[in-house]
Order: sequence, then C-alpha cells, then structure tokens
Amino acid sequence: MLNLWMRASAWICLAVVILLLGFLVQQSWPYWQQYGFSTLFSGDWYPYEKLFGLTAAIIGSFWAALIALSIAIPTGLAAAVMSTEILSGSWRSLSRTGMELLAGIPSVVYGLLGLWVLLPLLQSSLGLLTGHNLLAAGLLLSVMVLPTIMVMAQDALSEISSEQRDAAASLGMGWSERLWRVLLPQAWPGIRSGILLALGRALGETMAVMLVVGSMDRIPEPFYNLLAPAQTLTSRIGREIGESAFGSMHFAALMACGLLLATVTITISLLAHLRADNTSVART
Amino acid sequence: MNERHAKTLTMMLALPALLLPAVCLLYILFKGIPALDWAMLFGSAQGASFGSVTALWPQITGSLLLMLGACVLAAPVAFGGALFYALAASHRQQKVLLGMMHLLVGIPPIVYGLCGLIVLVHLLHWGISLLTGMVILAVIILPMLLLNSVNAINRIAVGRTEAAHALGLSNGEIIRRVWLPAAWPALLTGLLLGMARALSETAPVLFTATVFSGVAWPDSVFSPVTSLQTHIFYLAQEGANAQAVDIAWASAVVLVLLVTVLSFSASALRKIRVH
Amino acid sequence: MNIQKKIDVGLTIQQSAIKADQAHSLKLSGLSLELGGTPILRDISFALPVHGMNILIGPSGAGKSTLLRCLNLLHQSWQGDLHIMDKDVRTWPDGADALRRAVGLIAQKPSLFPCSIAQNVVFGLGRKARKQVSDEHIEQVLRQAALWGEVKDRLHDKALTLSVGQQQRLCIARALALAPKMLLLDEPTASLDPRSKQCIEASLLELAATMPVLCVTHDIEQAKRLGGQIIFMCDGHLIESGDSVDFFARPERIESREFLRWSVCDCS
Repeated sequence: MLNLWMRASAWICLAVVILLLGFLVQQSWPYWQQYGFSTLFSGDWYPYEKLFGLTAAIIGSFWAALIALSIAIPTGLAAAVMSTEILSGSWRSLSRTGMELLAGIPSVVYGLLGLWVLLPLLQSSLGLLTGHNLLAAGLLLSVMVLPTIMVMAQDALSEISSEQRDAAASLGMGWSERLWRVLLPQAWPGIRSGILLALGRALGETMAVMLVVGSMDRIPEPFYNLLAPAQTLTSRIGREIGESAFGSMHFAALMACGLLLATVTITISLLAHLRADNTSVART
Repeated sequence: MNERHAKTLTMMLALPALLLPAVCLLYILFKGIPALDWAMLFGSAQGASFGSVTALWPQITGSLLLMLGACVLAAPVAFGGALFYALAASHRQQKVLLGMMHLLVGIPPIVYGLCGLIVLVHLLHWGISLLTGMVILAVIILPMLLLNSVNAINRIAVGRTEAAHALGLSNGEIIRRVWLPAAWPALLTGLLLGMARALSETAPVLFTATVFSGVAWPDSVFSPVTSLQTHIFYLAQEGANAQAVDIAWASAVVLVLLVTVLSFSASALRKIRVH
Repeated sequence: MNIQKKIDVGLTIQQSAIKADQAHSLKLSGLSLELGGTPILRDISFALPVHGMNILIGPSGAGKSTLLRCLNLLHQSWQGDLHIMDKDVRTWPDGADALRRAVGLIAQKPSLFPCSIAQNVVFGLGRKARKQVSDEHIEQVLRQAALWGEVKDRLHDKALTLSVGQQQRLCIARALALAPKMLLLDEPTASLDPRSKQCIEASLLELAATMPVLCVTHDIEQAKRLGGQIIFMCDGHLIESGDSVDFFARPERIESREFLRWSVCDCS
C-alpha cells in the first residue's frame, strides 16, 4: 500500500514534467515549423496579418529584468549586510519579517500598486503622456524580487561561522575589509543563487508587469528608450491568450513565447540549484 | 573613519529596502480599509448588475476553494514523492526527482496556465472551471511542497531512523511513529506556505478557472468561479469607475491579510522544535 | 680574570632580569565582565613580563577564553584597566584593529579561510603588503610555527586539505605573519594528535624566548611541560599566580590543591 502510494507519486511527478514540456513543444510546433527561429530576430507582431516576430517582447523582458536586478541587487545585498552585520537581535528579526511580508504580497496587488501609485508618479515627475512603460515595469519588478535576493543573501551571510568572523577580527581586519575579503566571498554561492532565482522570477512575472508595461508591440526606439509603452513575453501571453483561438497560428505563437520563456527560466533555475548543491557538497 | 563611511553607505543603500514593506502594507491598508465594510464582505450578491457588484464573499469563497482543492490534490503526491525519495529511490532516482522539482520550480506560473489551457480546458474538455484551476495550482505548489517535505525528512537524525530499524520496525511504523512526530511542524509549515502561494497566484487561473462575476457558488467542479486575485485584476483596470478601484483596494486588503495570516502562522510554526 | 668575566656576565644577566621584572608587556588591573547579567570575570589583575611563557590554567568554564577575548577587544564591554606595551588599549592609536594586529590571538578551533596555504599566511596583511610579501617571510613564519617541512611543496594547495593539527599551526603562522608583539592562545592543542601537540608546544617555547606568550589550557601536564608563569583561574576569579615550579610543588590556596589533584575545582 505504502509502496504503491510512493511509486504512484513519483510517476505522477515524472508525468507532470513530461506532459508540461511535451505539450508546450507540440502546441508551438506549427509556429516553429512555419516561421522558424528567424522570428526571434523579427520585430513585427501583428496577429491579424500573420506576422509573429518575437524581438520586441524579448527586448522588453530583457530590459525589465535588467532594471529590476540593477536596483534590487545593491539594495538587497546592502539590506542583508545591514541586518546580519549591523543590526542586532530583535531589529534583525523585524527586518526579516518585513521581507517575508513583502515576498508574500500577491503579484496582482503589486500590479494594483504600480497602476495607481507608481504610474501617476512617473507620469507627473517625468512629464509623460502615459506612465505605462518599461521603466515602471522594471521598478515594480525590483520591489518584487528584492525579498528573494535579500533573504538568500541573509541566509548565506548568517551561515558563516562565528569562528571565521573572530579569526578575521583577531587578524586586525576592519569592518569593511572583513566584509569584502571574508564574508561576501564565502556567502557568494548563496548570493549568486539568490540573484539567479530573482532573475527567473523577474522574467516570469506576469500580472504586475501586464498592468503597467503598456502592452505595445514596439521595439524601444532608440533601444535604450525605456519611457515608451512596450511589451514583455509574459504580458503578451497574458493579454492575448484570451483572444486567440485554440489551434490557430496565433495560439501556437503564444505557446512559442511560453516555451521560450520556460526554457530560459528553467535553465536559470537549474543553474542556481546546481551551483548551490555543488558548494554545499564541497563544504561538508 | 573609513569604517564609519562604509557602514553609513551600507545603511543608506539598505534603508529603502527595509522601509519598503511597512510603506507598501500601510498604503494598501490606507486605501483599502475605508472601502471595506461588513456589508461589502457579506452583503447580498443577488440582483446586482454587472460591474456594480459590491459583495466580496463570492470572490473569497472562490479563492479559498481553489486553494483548498490545490492542496488536497498536491499534498498526497508531494508527501508520497518525498517518501519515495527517502525510502525507495536509488541515488540516481533521487537526483532525477530533485532535478525535476528544481525544473518545475523554475517554470513561470503563466506557463503552467498555458499548459492547463491546452490539456485541461481544450483536450479534456473541462472548460474554464474550478477543477482546472485546482489542478493547475496543485501542479504549481507540488515542487515546493515536495522539496520542503524532503528537507523535513532529511533533517531527522539518521541515528534515530537507524535505531528504529534496529528495533525491527517496518517502514510504515517508522513513518508513523518516528518521522511524523519529529517532522510534522516542518511538513505543516510547507503546506501553509503552499496554501499562501496558491492563494496569491493570479496569472494561471485568469484564463482557465475564473470569470469576472455572476457566480456566487459554483454548481459543480466543472463550473467557473470568481476569485479575489482576478477580481483585483479586472477592477484595477476600470480607470473610469472610481468605485471599482476602491473595491479593488478592498479586495487587495482581504487577499493580503489572508496570505499574511497563512505565512505568519507558517513562520510561527517553524519555530516549534520537536524533541 | 676569567672568574671576573663570568661574574660580570652573571651580573648583566641579573640586571636585565630585574629590568624585565619591572617592565611589563601587559598590565591588567581590576577587569570585570558581565554578559547578559551574569558575571563572567570578577576583578582580575595580573601582569606579563616582556617575554616568556605564561600559562592561564583552570577548569573549563572558569572564564579563561573569555578573558583572552577581552585582552584583544573581541569583548569590549568590560570594566577595568588594561595597558599593553604601556599604552591604554581603550585609546590605542588607530583603534581596536591595530591593537589586534599587535596582539595575535589563536582560537581553540583552527579557522582557516577557503583559499590556499600561502594566501592564508598573508591574509591579515594589508593589500600592498600582501602583494610585496617575500617568499622568505612566508617560509620564516611557517618555520616558526613548525609547519614548513610539511607544506613547503604545496603552498598553493587549499588550506582546508590540511589535517586539523596542521591547520592549527597554520593559524599560528598566520598570526605571526603580522609580526605581533605578543601571542595569546586559547587551548591551541585541545583535541589535536600528540605529534601536532608536540610540534606546537616546541614552537611556543621557542617563540616565548622573544615575546610574551599567554597560553590557556586546562591540561595540568601541558602546563608543567611549558613552565614559565602560572595564572590559575576558577569561576571568573583569579585564585593564584606565580612561578610554575612553585605552583606545582607548593600550591598556596586550597582551590589550587584541589584542582591539581582532581582537575576540577569548587569555588563558587
């Protein structure tokens, strides 16, 4: 009985993985067959004219994730360092609780915050026609991935033994020297995993991005123009999946977006866990 | 002096991150609480016309139904898989199982939604329904539940399990009498976090399980539901209708409170040490 | 003539001994420490000569390790007065970090950094000094720590591949690379193999000829082997201090006698 339950569960897990990937490939197959991989480099997405280029959405996803990480990494790391190395006792656990709170806020609520707080703010401060743009998406995402980076970095830092800290202190190393030469290098595997997971999350986040990014299929012009409405892979799927007929080329193209997204995020996630496992083995 | 500069710089970088949680939460409460009242939570949903429905309880029940269904479906598979990992799997099978779970963790929720749309809605003809949403959410929380259970079992001292084996206990008895008493807080913590996750996922149920309004209580598992998450999404975009946005904030307060209660009870539970 | 010379030499030695007696490398008076409301150290005073071996002995839980951590300011919340090299440690030029470079502390458990053996030796040096450090300097401190022979062919291997005894000696070398004015050791040979124990004790005795060494131990036999000055502590109090030969032959206090006989002491 127990044996049956265990084995059935394991088979279900396997089946889920195979079915998931299998159907993604199968449903997007017509798209790849007709348009091939060259569409990755074509910018025009007009479903009614059967033009399905992915570049605009790929660039959008890339920019949004880049903005998010470039804000969240320094802030999150600093917050982790401050809470483990400067704050003491109850303040430390308070900051941790705050981060868990931030991580727990559902993404659609972030979308609401972005739409009704961030966008008016951007609109008035930058004098834009509409606040819907990649910058807004990036800023919102940076708040959403901040807990991932901070919590992982905090765990990695607090795992370093007090003997190591004492050894560094008894060698007369100052606070910043200890931080740069002992603490951060030793916590790096954990920090790196945190950054990779945050990247995966930023690329895959849908609801919040969808509400603020503007959903316009345009390649930013020039490429660093982040203040115009744009599109990401996830927001495109979220906006258009309801309109596309099952089995149509439009549907297959959206599946192709999903497959592309999944491939990238799976790679990132496996990389994060692979590295983390390796170092933990090496440490024992 | 240099040291003080370094510390000040760190604190200045960190301060926004440390203040952000309080700011976000207070703002949501500030916007949502005024719009929230008793009648809105539990008032009648009957006879209201489209778009001006103010009662939230159908959305709350819908969200809770989705969450409970997902847990009921995912928990047995996750625990079974973890037991397989601990008791029956070869080293290679263990690696494959963990690798698969890490792979699943990496897939964005919206992709689960897409696959659910293909397989459950279209190929199995379940349509946009409660059951579809439950299954999709179950698959989403499956990897985190399984990994959590594996960790919980791994944390039990090897010596204790070996001692139980030496006493001639069967696997079933070891699970019941050694592992469960030692690991239940960790297992329950994982389950609570899974529930919180299922409650906050929006994208995958948006086009597979939910409709905007008109459903108070689903007739069967094959009928669509309304949910808090998607309700917020729809109402947030009703820019012209100030009342709709107010209701969106009120729904956000309810949702955030539900999720926070779940995740805080999880972290309270995590502090319990069973000896 | 010959006799006269001998007498002269004898006199100079005696005079320098007297001088050494008057000057102290470390002078501690009235140190008390409370941690979380519990008194750990109570009114401890002693002085160390400018060089030589000093043993801080006592049963476990006496506060010996905590006292060492106070001496190089890893604990800073103590009351009392501590002068090292006739300078108040509270107002040490360039702060606590400079003091810690002048006072080498070796912990009970060796704690190396995850890099190569050579990098560990120079880890405490400043950025410039690390780049300019000569191979001779590394060799010299490794020799002083009695480790050179075992690691000379694999200086660029990971330090964590060494045995625990070798790691402990590498920790001593790492502290010596900073050219400290004195050395504090916290049970450096506890849980080490006899061979490493012997190496470390020999190198400590050699080092004690040039600088003051304060070594914590709870091992009476080790204290006898190392000799020098004995400071006996129990339950946060300093019970008795003096020359090691006298202490082991004629302990004055009843607690000392009890400790020498049973290795435990009941003085609370």
